[in-house]
Amino acid sequence: MKSTQLVSSIQENIARVIKGKSKVIELTVVSLLARGHLLLEDVPGVGKTTLAHSLARSLDCSFKRIQFTSDLLPSDIVGVSVFNRQKQGFEFVPGPIFANIVLADEINRTTPKTQSSLLEAMSEAQISVDNQTHPLHQPFMVIATQNPAEYHGTFPLPESQLDRFLMRVQIGYPSPEEERKVLERPQSLHPAEALQPVATAQDVLALQQQVDDVLMEDSLMEYLLAIVLATRQSDLLSLGVSTRGALALSRAAKALAFVRGRAYCLPDDIKELAPAVLSHRIMVSRSQGLRHRSFEQSEQIIQDLVESVPVPV
Amino acid sequence: MPFNQALRLSSVLLAAAAFIGLALGTNLPEWLLLLTGSSLIVTLLRTLGVDRLRRVLDRIRLSTAAWNVLTVIAFAGFWVDLLWVSADLLPAGVHFLLILMVIKLFNLDQRRDYLHLYAISLMAILGSAASTTDLWYLPVFLAYLLMGVWTLLLYQLTKESDAGPTPPSLPDKSALVLRGREEITPELFWLANGLAVGALCLTVLIFFTIPRVSAGFGQKGSGEGLRTSGFSETVDLGMIGPIKRDPGIVMRVELPDRTGVQMDRFYLRGMAYDRYDGKSWTTRLSHRRALAESPAGTFTVRHASARSPRPLGQIIRQTILLEALDTAVLFAAPYPESISGQFLAIQSDPTGAIYLPFPASARLEYTVYSRPAAVASADLQFQPALYTEVFAQHFLQLPESSERVGALAQEITRSKTSAYEKAQAIEAYLSRNYRYSLDISPAVQTRPLEEFLFERKTGYCEHYATAMVVLLRNVGVPARLVTGFLATEWNEYGNYYLVRQRDAHAWVEVHLPHSGWVTMDPTPAVSETVGDSQWFALSRVVDTLRLRWNRFFVQYNAADQLAVVRGLKEGTTVVRDRAWSSFSSLLAPAGDLAGRILRHVAEGNVRLMTGFLSFVVLGVGLVVWLMQRKPWDRRRRTDPISRERAIIAQIYHGVLRQIARNGIPKPRNATPREFLQLVQQQWAAAGESVSTITELYCRGRFGKVILTQQEIDLAYHNLRQLTLLDPPLR
Repeated sequence: MKSTQLVSSIQENIARVIKGKSKVIELTVVSLLARGHLLLEDVPGVGKTTLAHSLARSLDCSFKRIQFTSDLLPSDIVGVSVFNRQKQGFEFVPGPIFANIVLADEINRTTPKTQSSLLEAMSEAQISVDNQTHPLHQPFMVIATQNPAEYHGTFPLPESQLDRFLMRVQIGYPSPEEERKVLERPQSLHPAEALQPVATAQDVLALQQQVDDVLMEDSLMEYLLAIVLATRQSDLLSLGVSTRGALALSRAAKALAFVRGRAYCLPDDIKELAPAVLSHRIMVSRSQGLRHRSFEQSEQIIQDLVESVPVPV
Repeated sequence: MPFNQALRLSSVLLAAAAFIGLALGTNLPEWLLLLTGSSLIVTLLRTLGVDRLRRVLDRIRLSTAAWNVLTVIAFAGFWVDLLWVSADLLPAGVHFLLILMVIKLFNLDQRRDYLHLYAISLMAILGSAASTTDLWYLPVFLAYLLMGVWTLLLYQLTKESDAGPTPPSLPDKSALVLRGREEITPELFWLANGLAVGALCLTVLIFFTIPRVSAGFGQKGSGEGLRTSGFSETVDLGMIGPIKRDPGIVMRVELPDRTGVQMDRFYLRGMAYDRYDGKSWTTRLSHRRALAESPAGTFTVRHASARSPRPLGQIIRQTILLEALDTAVLFAAPYPESISGQFLAIQSDPTGAIYLPFPASARLEYTVYSRPAAVASADLQFQPALYTEVFAQHFLQLPESSERVGALAQEITRSKTSAYEKAQAIEAYLSRNYRYSLDISPAVQTRPLEEFLFERKTGYCEHYATAMVVLLRNVGVPARLVTGFLATEWNEYGNYYLVRQRDAHAWVEVHLPHSGWVTMDPTPAVSETVGDSQWFALSRVVDTLRLRWNRFFVQYNAADQLAVVRGLKEGTTVVRDRAWSSFSSLLAPAGDLAGRILRHVAEGNVRLMTGFLSFVVLGVGLVVWLMQRKPWDRRRRTDPISRERAIIAQIYHGVLRQIARNGIPKPRNATPREFLQLVQQQWAAAGESVSTITELYCRGRFGKVILTQQEIDLAYHNLRQLTLLDPPLR
């Protein structure tokens, strides 16, 4: 099957750079195929940027990187209208968001105003400047990174905005063996630069189209909704998963099934993706508030809730 | 032979036995005989594995909807048959049954269909049983019984297998059997036949021992009847005594209306005796005459001896359920006027006693209207009475008695003038001065009456009654001794008297010039020999139930069945007439058209006939087509995907059951693949089979690709492998 090979070759390609993180790579590709955006949350230096870079390189499509700082303005992202003397009128100069893959580095370092301009673009797939609407490139994917360890001078994203990301993924430190391989690599060249593209933007659009056709059987739909309902009824959570979250989980599950070479979802797909897709969309109740919005804590809660829901047979 | 094929074979044979029973027992039309017979043969051959036939039959397989339409048409045909063609319930029902059988024979896919076929065969064999009493029914029934046992056994065996019901699309291939024993072994063969023989023996045993209709071998007193005393032509003095302690039930007397009935002393008259020889009573008026039967099975009693008009008393209606006795006497309150029941003939003698021609061998029920005698006011004064010689010979007869008896009679009645006063005086004297006791030595006494009157002054009803009759006759008042029962035990739950052996009684009838025979009883009222304890109240409740049982079940006999059938028949006639009238009034134009068509047909107008027929055929075809295509039903219920899903899900459930049986239940929150990992860890031997089935299950259950036949067979195969594995080591 051609599309399956394509998907696996993308993964293999990225895996050449990001060692020992096949799971994370798979989730990245799932986000891409589900037309979603990815939030990488981890300490600095574990390969967040490299992952985004490798993906963009593998896909033979445009890639822009925006380094978020506290003085970044919305126009620095979406672009600005400037006066063109020759044409005697204003001309829109597109910002870095006009690319297929956009890496929003350290998204929590900038002001909420700038953050929201990016997030709006993410959900609408278009931007408006001076009453002019400009569609963004397709495929369009934002990979944002954020550093949970630092709080000084950061503006943490509120849950309502985190909702825009399909999933939140932690990369984690590699195992000693994998880390050794990284060290043994020649340091002269950034490893991502050496990658050759294996798919085009058109291929990605076609794959996204095929993901839509993946079958989710009725009982699985019920299962998914039961999980979502469980988050809303749980005492541990003060905010459950939204309808957008349910939609995201369904799309992600379909994409995962597709990535694994199936034309139909399994309960395993939903069960496996639920923590990554749902954990950043919930608010842990204050009675549980040991650590403020801890990644592990919310993932664990989602995991437990999923285990409480019976699987359809 | 695989179980499934054997089940199919035995089912078809079962239906065949039922059909043969019907074909031999009832008058079936030839086309139906041909249709059903050929269908049975074709199905039989197919089951026996004639491949070409099977291929042909598989090709003409209709959908379930089409079969349903056929069934509905057959039902409509049943009504037409019932109302016009056969115009009777039984044949129409039989025809409908056979049509249903044919439909089911060709539609024998799911277990449900098998059950339907069994129900149809059962009704058919019942129908043939109802329509015949010939001997050939026996071999047919034996065949049916044998096949029935086989079918039940096989049905259960195929049901017990782990995969549950056979999937609809796999009639034979995927037969799952217990522990891999696919074939019918010789042991099983003989076991089934042995079971059939056992069942037959049990049936025969039950047939001969369980009471049917209203009598059975084990029933108390049946055949010879309860032994009673005092109702033969001769009654020795002292005969009643020994039975006065017997609590056996003789009869139950229901009184719908109790006004004017003396409740504590209810007499049930049996026989009257006129001649006393000093030791025993005999009746010389025993010539019986048959009573005339009035139209409704009612016999009217005419009292030959009652010349004078009887004073009108309240009529008492009694319904009496009499146990089988050794006497032909029928008991009733004095004096019966008419008697009705299931009798061929009733006789009576001149004393007013009623008899059957011979003692009944079974319990019987009859209704009697009685008019009790009352004393006319004219008899309260002295009335000179002249009796004919014959009358005097009978009722003034005296044994050679001593002077003392005569003197005693004179002394008691000295100041009395009228016969009634004399009788009252004697009655009062006896009941006041003598002691009632059952403890009389049964030794033969030479002069029992004198002994009672002058020496012992102790006795029971016979002694009292005999003494009174003799004393009365001594002073010239005609009297006679009457035996019967004195009912005292009123069952308030069922509103009836319970009469036992120990209620046997003897009393006196005195003849008064104007009133005729009047009942008098010198025996003092005796306190109950057995206390009226709680147990007695309970026993009365139980006895009420017993009476009801007898009324509604045991007495429900062939005559009642016939009555029901007759009622049904009349009912169908009424329904048919009413349906026809409403039908014709509602659809007068259509009826007119139909009538014209029928006329044309009668005249042989072939063209119009063919036009009409083709119209009907087209219409039916259209309906069938619509039912099959279901253009109104967008969501097809029988789409192949959901059917395949059901099959693979069934197999997977079988796997889960099998694994759970080996101690690894599936956690509710585990997905099939997670469960597979669990199984692989805990029961390595099963890993491969479970893995294969899980993979197929995931694909068939959640995917949109239909599993192929090979894949389903593979799943079945693996499930079977699983059942053969040893349990995991612990």
